[in-house]
Amino acid sequence: MNHIVCLAYVPDTETKIKIGADGKSIDESDVKWIVSPYDEYALEEAIKTKETKGGTVTVVTFGPAKADVGLRECLARGANEAVRIAADGLAQVDSLGVAKLLAAAIKPMPFDVLWLGNKGVGTDAQTLVPMLAEFLDLPHVNLVTKLEWKDGAVTCWREIEGAKEVVETPLPALIAAQKGLNEPRYASLKGIMAAKKKTIAVKTPADLGVDVAAVSGDKAAVRWTKLELPPARQAVKLIPADDPAKAAEELLRLLRDEAKVL
Amino acid sequence: MPNPLIDDRTLDFVLHDVVGLDSLLALPRFAEHDRAVCDATIDSVRRYSREVLFPAYRLLDAEPPVLREGRALVHPRLQEIWPGLRDLGLISAGRSTEIGGQQLPFLVTLAAILHVQAANCPLYSFLGLTTGAAHLIEAFGSPALKERYLAPLLEGTWTGTMALTEPQAGSSLADIETRATPSGDHYLVSGSKIFISGGDHDLTENIVHMVLARIEGAPAGVKGISLFLVPKMRPDGGRLAPNDVKVAGLIHKIGWRGLPAAALNFGEEGDCHGWLVGEPHRGLAAMFQMMNEARLVIGGSGVATASVAYQESLAYARSRPQGRPLANRDASSPQVPITEHADVRRMLLRQKAIVEGGLALLLQCARLSDLAGHGEGEAKARSQLLLDLLTPVAKSFPAEKGFEANVLAMQVHGGYGYSSEHLPEAWLRDQKLNSIHEGTTGIQGLDLLGRKVMVEKGAALRILGEEVAATCARAAKAGVDPAWIAAVGETGKKVGALTGELARRGQERGGEAMLLHSADYLDLFSSWVVAWQWLEMAAAAREALADGRTPGAFYEGKLAAAQHWIRTEMPKVDALITVCHEGEESYRTVPDEGF
Repeated sequence: MNHIVCLAYVPDTETKIKIGADGKSIDESDVKWIVSPYDEYALEEAIKTKETKGGTVTVVTFGPAKADVGLRECLARGANEAVRIAADGLAQVDSLGVAKLLAAAIKPMPFDVLWLGNKGVGTDAQTLVPMLAEFLDLPHVNLVTKLEWKDGAVTCWREIEGAKEVVETPLPALIAAQKGLNEPRYASLKGIMAAKKKTIAVKTPADLGVDVAAVSGDKAAVRWTKLELPPARQAVKLIPADDPAKAAEELLRLLRDEAKVL
Repeated sequence: MPNPLIDDRTLDFVLHDVVGLDSLLALPRFAEHDRAVCDATIDSVRRYSREVLFPAYRLLDAEPPVLREGRALVHPRLQEIWPGLRDLGLISAGRSTEIGGQQLPFLVTLAAILHVQAANCPLYSFLGLTTGAAHLIEAFGSPALKERYLAPLLEGTWTGTMALTEPQAGSSLADIETRATPSGDHYLVSGSKIFISGGDHDLTENIVHMVLARIEGAPAGVKGISLFLVPKMRPDGGRLAPNDVKVAGLIHKIGWRGLPAAALNFGEEGDCHGWLVGEPHRGLAAMFQMMNEARLVIGGSGVATASVAYQESLAYARSRPQGRPLANRDASSPQVPITEHADVRRMLLRQKAIVEGGLALLLQCARLSDLAGHGEGEAKARSQLLLDLLTPVAKSFPAEKGFEANVLAMQVHGGYGYSSEHLPEAWLRDQKLNSIHEGTTGIQGLDLLGRKVMVEKGAALRILGEEVAATCARAAKAGVDPAWIAAVGETGKKVGALTGELARRGQERGGEAMLLHSADYLDLFSSWVVAWQWLEMAAAAREALADGRTPGAFYEGKLAAAQHWIRTEMPKVDALITVCHEGEESYRTVPDEGF
């Protein structure tokens, strides 16, 4: 079985995000970049499956040259090949544009399973999975936490509100991983050395036949006009509990008049 | 934000701007590596330490290994962790590619190891002791021993130990009594060892003990000590058979509680096989290869344990509102974080100066170890001399001053720090061991003054003086405050003069008189050496600021810590020099009954 894993190289979830001088992008000067955590679950499952059933794992990303660090980390963990669609110098590309670029890169590649995290933790707005499936004309199963392989098909357990849904899909298919699917491994020193010797294939949008100008900047379907940080958390307000009845009254008043949730 | 264990940016700064990792990568031994590989190595271990090892720390501290039916059983969580910890590849990271290692510089390996030690300090010992045992076999073992034992040790399917201490012989190894009697192709070993870290556990199917023992008829003292490989289970016709190594008990330690420390009996039934490693009666010299590596690793534990506590106290202080500035008498105004109070700032900056000063010294030593092992020409010999001189300092400074830093981390937490609900008390317990094991601080003082500064008529001290002079020149060029440069330079001259005086005292009045204040000498020598490292960091910070590198506050922090260490510690060095010079005799002359 051959696997393709799409991954996003995103700011570390521990990074304190600052807004850039233009007011509509983030200040990247002090940002540490990582492979999106949900994509790590997808990669781990692909590698685990390769180890038991044979085949190869190819990782694909759309990003600037610094994303090669993330791709090498995936190679160190056990991926066989890596492809980067070069984003250097491009205006903002939205998820629709990214889906088109990824689809163009993946279409000529043979695979049984296409893997993604159910979301990036960047700017994808959790829309990439269905759009990519649509462009590649693939069945897709999202929020997967457990899998059972069959001949030419796979049964997936997926999270829905308050329950698990079990679905079966024929292969090839797109499977999007949710937290809980596995515990991703860490790159070993041996793996890191082996990854250094591998080549990352870099393709430009033009190589893929995608007119990037039509899906980026002012032509993108989603354009960023302004970024704002969430409001700072207010200090905790303690209600004296000497008299429970009065305390309850005060709580109701605060919820109604200040928090305005009642 | 979770505890970072070791500050990322500081580690990067020390590795590249202070110690100069890139120059090591130019050596043929490390030609296969580049900065990206080094960064990826450290980053992978860092992540694993933060995400897996640190969350398990409190659990393993609270529930140490237990002895059941003669076997030490580790915590079930450690059983789960072990495969991932082993498979990171740290055991063989520095060994040559020919035997399955990655041939990484020790500098990079140690930078990575620090994260494991900061996250869960006892757990690195399973790996480090195995690395040391494998290195001894590689360096001194017969081809048959290498064939049988190296691969499983380097892969971590077996672990190793160093078995030196006996109930009656700790620091004084000359008095060990464990015996080895020739018996065909092996020896029969009998005797007892105590405080054997990793001496028994249920993580692997076998444990390989590197044991110091006396061959029957060997001369008394250290010249009669040989080194033996004694497995817990001996390979026997394609299977592993018990080798008559019994666990007499586990030590109930106050820290490092995730790691079993055992009392072991070898040969209770007369059937414990051991194999000689290296030449007969040359065991201590061979073991010191492992000990010297271990001493730097213990220095790492000191730095790491102080670092994780410093980071914890810093985060706590920033988030803890308490009181108001002295000038503010408005009781209705909001309280300020305790980082605004001068005494808390003092405690934080002093921790920073100890942690980062120790880090820089330790990584300098790691670089010297790489140059001594794989450098060429004069640099190789020079590095070995300097490494030998600095090893007792790199081992003891992080332990002794690290303990002070750990106390400060607890103090910053106030009453909460004194409760077991918060972690600083556990790190304080852990840190104490670092001034005891692998040669107590007292031993390090004797080693430094009695041996290392005196070797080759003070050659190593002269080399250190040249290094300090080079740092002073770099600092002057970078625009570091001339008063700091003068303080470090002048203190160096005084240390040199004192050393000469003590050497003469030794010649005239004997070793006892020379070494009476070896502990004070180690203390003042260490403060000066760390001041040298802070001057180097100040120079690097000034250069970075001149280059417009950001964030500026990061480099300003380095300058503040340099100022703190140099301006507050060098006067204390003067006071200690006076004590050594005067040869104050109170504890030598007090009658035993007078204690």
